[in-house]
Amino acid sequence: MFSFENVGVRYGLGGEVLRDVTFDLQPGSMHFLTGSSGAGKTTLLKLLYLAHRPSRGVVNMFGQDMADVTRAELPRLRRRVGVVFQDFRLFDHLSAFENIAMPLRISGVPKAQIKTDVEELMSWVGLEDRLKAKPPTLSGGEKQRVAIARAIINKPELLLADEPTGNVDPEMAHRLMHLFVELNSLGATTVIASHDEALVEEIGAPVLRLEKGELEVLPGGKARSEPSL
Amino acid sequence: MKDIVSSLLHRRLDFLSHEARTDALLPWVISVMMFLSCLAVAASLSVHSGLAQWSEGLESRVSIQVLSADVDENERLSEDALKMLLATPGIRSASIVASQEVLDLVSPWLGDVSNIAGLPLPTLIDVELANAGAVDLSALSIRLSAISDSIKLDNHQAWMRQLLDFATMIKWAAAGIVLLILMSTIAIVIFGCRAGLATHRVSIEIMHQLGAEDSLIAREFDQRYLMHGLKGGVAGLVLALTVLYVSASFVADLGQGMLASVAPSGQVLAALIGLPVVAAVITMLTARITVRRSLLDML
Repeated sequence: MFSFENVGVRYGLGGEVLRDVTFDLQPGSMHFLTGSSGAGKTTLLKLLYLAHRPSRGVVNMFGQDMADVTRAELPRLRRRVGVVFQDFRLFDHLSAFENIAMPLRISGVPKAQIKTDVEELMSWVGLEDRLKAKPPTLSGGEKQRVAIARAIINKPELLLADEPTGNVDPEMAHRLMHLFVELNSLGATTVIASHDEALVEEIGAPVLRLEKGELEVLPGGKARSEPSL
Repeated sequence: MKDIVSSLLHRRLDFLSHEARTDALLPWVISVMMFLSCLAVAASLSVHSGLAQWSEGLESRVSIQVLSADVDENERLSEDALKMLLATPGIRSASIVASQEVLDLVSPWLGDVSNIAGLPLPTLIDVELANAGAVDLSALSIRLSAISDSIKLDNHQAWMRQLLDFATMIKWAAAGIVLLILMSTIAIVIFGCRAGLATHRVSIEIMHQLGAEDSLIAREFDQRYLMHGLKGGVAGLVLALTVLYVSASFVADLGQGMLASVAPSGQVLAALIGLPVVAAVITMLTARITVRRSLLDML
């Protein structure tokens, strides 16, 4: 469903940030993306959430060669991808409810349906009493859950998270990681960039390990009973 | 046009923060621009309509001057000319202007000349035509000259032409001023828009990531800049109308004449009221083009 073949990315005239990256993501699979700082994790995620085009190689998403996808077609595809950014990227002037509702409003979902869906999801992520709270008044864990809720409200086929546990305490990190496992079990192909070796080990999903722009695919570990790669 | 109406009707997504307002000064700038535009347009239209009214009144009137060295002959020639004029088809009325009125006419330039003996003042005959083209004025002039070379017909064309040239110059000057203001406004809106795009770049990236099309993002800017244009336009118009009406009340105290038309007429007022709408639409279209072009540079 999602495949990269000999993908390379360079910015301007600089050297390649990603080199000959090749991997497949099967529908409903879960992967961790690891690597040291500057290894190219963010660039790889950008390719996955269609914010960047490769300099070379073939990226196939949703059964389409991205080289053939025009700029005008990108919004339709992006609605099928949910992204949780490391810095949350919430709209600080909007309430938690409005932030989570934004993807539905963009898609033109009726107002009544938006209210039902958002309230239900906020309840599921434990934010039912924070509907009107604005991001600056939320804790790190609450912001992260708002960001996750916004990423999944449109029922994405591909869910990406960039260091989702980087800004929260270990207990919250543990809870959030299990939330992603639950989301993955609902059918979303999931890729989580993380530095947290212990959590990666605990969940046991296959790992896409980047080092100096080159990718290595490691099989799933002990804790995850059904690695999907 | 369909896009503009769509921009106005759709509910805003409100993803642009109100705190990072790099374009907060734009309504003020537009109000100043609108103020200057209104004054230029009002001046042009007022001079134009004032002169049009004046020339309309004068086109159906001519003056006959009788200036002979001998006072008795002057009186006789005036009577002969008057008889001939009254017998001419197309002339509604003709009358000799009283000598006191002639003195009053020259008094603004010469002062009180009633006691100056021997001052060669002409006898004037005021002629009203049935309409502007009712009489062949060239033929009438020849017939008057046939009575005496001392009788001259003045159809006001020479100085009327100068006044109309002046009005045309005022009109083009005003158009030039409005054009310069328009270009300056567009440049300012473009700068404001680019600054706004830079400020809201992250928000725009998020919206793109959430699957928003360029049109949806641009619509937010359309609506914001339309409101900037309307606010600035209305403020500038109110200020300009205040200045015009206050000026008009001062001018009214000075007496009648060309300056009496400083107060906007109904037609001028209608044109001025339309200006804020024009300003708002131009502001919105400028923002729309700037934003859409900039969005194309993003993936």
